[in-house]
Amino acid sequence: MALLTLAGICKYYRQGSHEVRALHGIDLVVDKGEFAALVGPSGSGKTTLLNVIGGLDTPSAGSARLDGTEITRLGESALSDFRLFELGFVFQAYNLVPVLSALENVELVMVLQGRSAADRRRRAEHYLHLVGLDEAMHRRPSALSGGQQQRVAVARALAAGPRLVLADEPTANLDSENATALLDIMHSLSHQDETTFIFSTHDPRVMERAERIITLRDGTIESDERLERHHSQRAAS
Amino acid sequence: MSARHGRLPVATLAMLAWRNLWRNRRRTLITLTTIAFGFGLSVLLIGLNDGGHNSMIRNAINMGEGHLTVQPPGYLESPANHRYLADGARLSSLLGALAVAGGIEPRISLQVLASTAHNSVGAGLEGIVPRGDSRARMLEPALVGGEWLEEGDARGIVIGDGMARKLKVPVGGKVVLMAGERGGDTQAQLARVRGIFDSRVDELDDFLILGDLELARRFLVGEGADPEREPVTRFAVFLDDPDSVTYWKRAVSSALAGESAVALDWREMMPQLVQFIAVDDAGAYVFLVLVLIMVVFGILNTVLMSVLERTREFGLLRALGLGRRQLLMLVCCETLALSVLAVVTGWVVGGGAHWWLSRHGVDFSALISGGTAIMGTFMDPVVYTELSAGRVWQLTVIVFVATLASGIYPALKAVRVTPVQALRT
Repeated sequence: MALLTLAGICKYYRQGSHEVRALHGIDLVVDKGEFAALVGPSGSGKTTLLNVIGGLDTPSAGSARLDGTEITRLGESALSDFRLFELGFVFQAYNLVPVLSALENVELVMVLQGRSAADRRRRAEHYLHLVGLDEAMHRRPSALSGGQQQRVAVARALAAGPRLVLADEPTANLDSENATALLDIMHSLSHQDETTFIFSTHDPRVMERAERIITLRDGTIESDERLERHHSQRAAS
Repeated sequence: MSARHGRLPVATLAMLAWRNLWRNRRRTLITLTTIAFGFGLSVLLIGLNDGGHNSMIRNAINMGEGHLTVQPPGYLESPANHRYLADGARLSSLLGALAVAGGIEPRISLQVLASTAHNSVGAGLEGIVPRGDSRARMLEPALVGGEWLEEGDARGIVIGDGMARKLKVPVGGKVVLMAGERGGDTQAQLARVRGIFDSRVDELDDFLILGDLELARRFLVGEGADPEREPVTRFAVFLDDPDSVTYWKRAVSSALAGESAVALDWREMMPQLVQFIAVDDAGAYVFLVLVLIMVVFGILNTVLMSVLERTREFGLLRALGLGRRQLLMLVCCETLALSVLAVVTGWVVGGGAHWWLSRHGVDFSALISGGTAIMGTFMDPVVYTELSAGRVWQLTVIVFVATLASGIYPALKAVRVTPVQALRT
């Protein structure tokens, strides 16, 4: 069942007198529960595409629908609410609010959603437990390692109950051990909550765990490959 | 998609603002110290200014015509010896019935020419009750020769040392007081100098002659007044509570309805002094504005730096679903917290200094050895800071609003950033 449908997405911008085609004619359908990787060289349009899907950037042309909602037609305020209730974000770095503890960072989005204190505390503790941060939940970001910070970001993204989690190079700043651990956590939670993940990467370790690899080049989709072995692993799990 | 909306509870807003404020502890402390110091200075300056002015006003009221003056209509605009309150006894009874919280003093003020064998000078003769008048209480300690007037001494006068020098008259010397009559004739009374005072106010020392009511009343009788009706030129009303002037002015005016007399308050009686204080206040306000500019730039610097440093974080918050308005509220709340802290710290510094100086005062006597006479009154050499409740409120609101307003630009700058721009930084 299609969760996300992109049709003819284009994103052009000017750089001096030069027009840059960041995205050109992107058509893509992502089903609910998919764990998909956007791959491609730097400048291929991965981050721009994630920004368009996340309502952080507006396309020059085309349509982006999430579960029936036309994202490109939402106004400023509606987009904020859309991101708050429907999406989760994990960025490459500096994901957390420095003045809040790990627990408070995870709770923040749920506070904005208007969830009760008891509900958000229960969910925040649950997801921090799932990402293995029981002992560190009261620490501020400055007292957490890069890998721990990314895990907090994943816990925050999932605890708010989004339909879709967008991760922009989540392992780019992590060492191999931490990157693998983070991907395993994301993969496992994706299956557990049936949450759809789309993440950009050019990290082979990430690609190994993806169930679908969408390759971008010069703003267009070069290939779109579903990897059956991961589906079978998933069915087995 | 459901029509759910994000919200930022006040408790979370306040918690975030407070923690953000202390992210750069040193910068916030330096800013707070600057603001508190500036605000404290303003409180002191305004307090000293008000203290000095109030001292001048109190002295002017005591040396002059009281908080309220009852006198013939038109006397202020055109003072003349033939303008007097013919039935002083009746007016005294009417005023006495009001049971004014304070005191009422009958007075006779006349313009005379004081002459000796050596010289003649224009003077103001003030007929008073020698032992009950407020001027007597202020000038008796300033006697530098002779003694004070006694009740019923219909020939005795007390003059300032300036006039004594001009007339070349010692204590015990004779002075002829002459006054013009309405018909054009002149009347004269012989007086004897009982004492000489040095008030350090030139206008008093060179011009004032104090005598018993009976001495001055002889001139009114010469103008045709009936001495049995105890004529006077005015009644000076002194109030225990200076803030009750408006109330008592209304009460006295009502009591005098139908009488040929009007009640004026000290502001109407001394318009030059009021104007002088207004001009002097303007100077203090200029200083206050300079301090406010310092305060505004202090806050602007702190909040703007804090905003510019957190561009990426604002992008993150916006990406997570924080609306522009909520972000605006967050930055405004940080400014609000800084403003509240600044005002509280400022009041601790300035209020503490005011508390001490309102009890011990600042002694300016070394700086103003030439006297403190201004506009016909004088300022006590030791000035105590004074701040009325209205002044406290005014200063607080001004600084609070100025600091709050200084956060508007950084707040607008923060909300203008788009998430994509911010996350690229």
